[in-house]
Amino acid sequence: MERIDSGLQSRARRAYELGRARVALGLAPVALAAVAIALACGRPTGACLALGGALFALVAGLSFAGGSEGRAVWPGLLAGTAPLALPLIVKTAGHACFGDSCMQLCLPACVFGGLVAGVVVGVLARREEGRGVRFAVAALGVAALTGCLGCTIGGTLGVLAMLGGLAAGGTPVLALARARR
Amino acid sequence: MGLLADGDRSAFPRVFEALWPPLRAFAQRAVGPGDDEDVAQAALLRVFSRASEFDRSRDALAWAVGIAAFECRSLRKKRARRAEREQPMAALPELAFAGAVSQEQDLIARDLRAAVEDVLGALRPIDAETIAALASGERAVTGATFRKRLERALARFRTAWRDRHGTD
Repeated sequence: MERIDSGLQSRARRAYELGRARVALGLAPVALAAVAIALACGRPTGACLALGGALFALVAGLSFAGGSEGRAVWPGLLAGTAPLALPLIVKTAGHACFGDSCMQLCLPACVFGGLVAGVVVGVLARREEGRGVRFAVAALGVAALTGCLGCTIGGTLGVLAMLGGLAAGGTPVLALARARR
Repeated sequence: MGLLADGDRSAFPRVFEALWPPLRAFAQRAVGPGDDEDVAQAALLRVFSRASEFDRSRDALAWAVGIAAFECRSLRKKRARRAEREQPMAALPELAFAGAVSQEQDLIARDLRAAVEDVLGALRPIDAETIAALASGERAVTGATFRKRLERALARFRTAWRDRHGTD
């Protein structure tokens, strides 16, 4: 068999890693778009930039790592659009998010958005053979950060409500899937 | 390759060992000896650089060979461009040595040719090509267009010659 040049092999490995990094960095516009949507709906700039930066770091890191975690990026982003969009739609529709009135629409929107995201992630995680938990954890992390950009509308309570919805939506679906196996 | 596309680094050595021999053999057939090693290496690096984009439903070897074929085409184009650039100079020997009958005249002609090449190299490519076309008779354009180009090229040649050698 032909002798393999170790120098060439290390260069090929570097090219591979750089290629993965390039693909991972290509997710920046998605994180930027989520931040832009939140900013356009009047969310505080500092919080949006911090959450957007964390979201980008997470999706780029997961995408670079690959495996179940890498496959979880897009489902997580997709699931996260529900808790991102719902509270913002409520606010855009004219709801005054202030005081007790917030409890009537914003918080339920955050909970419902989180619930939808949790169910979506749970259903998609069932497809992952033997690595569903890792997939679900990664996707829920991405969905949570994406959702936080919208649910800051309800303050800390809004974010916690969304996270509760995520857990409530995702856990039963995953548990059911594991029980059936 | 599917595992590598998914981020499974443990598949790297196996994919490398499986791809290198066929890519090298393909490059040898496509570009011949000399440049084949460089082309095969460039193709291999390109394949690994794009491994994350690999679609599992496709045949990995066919995909890699497709990338190698692109590298080979690029090399051939580069060679063709290089040959085109060198062509004007290739037309000069007959021009310079046409009247050389003795050894002394031959040496003078060689010196003159070197000086002409030096000045032609400083001109814009289109001027160098026009002057070479005058020598070889192979003209891309004819008639008034060629005469006008030649007039301009010779004027620039004279100026460049004067700058370098101080005489017409």
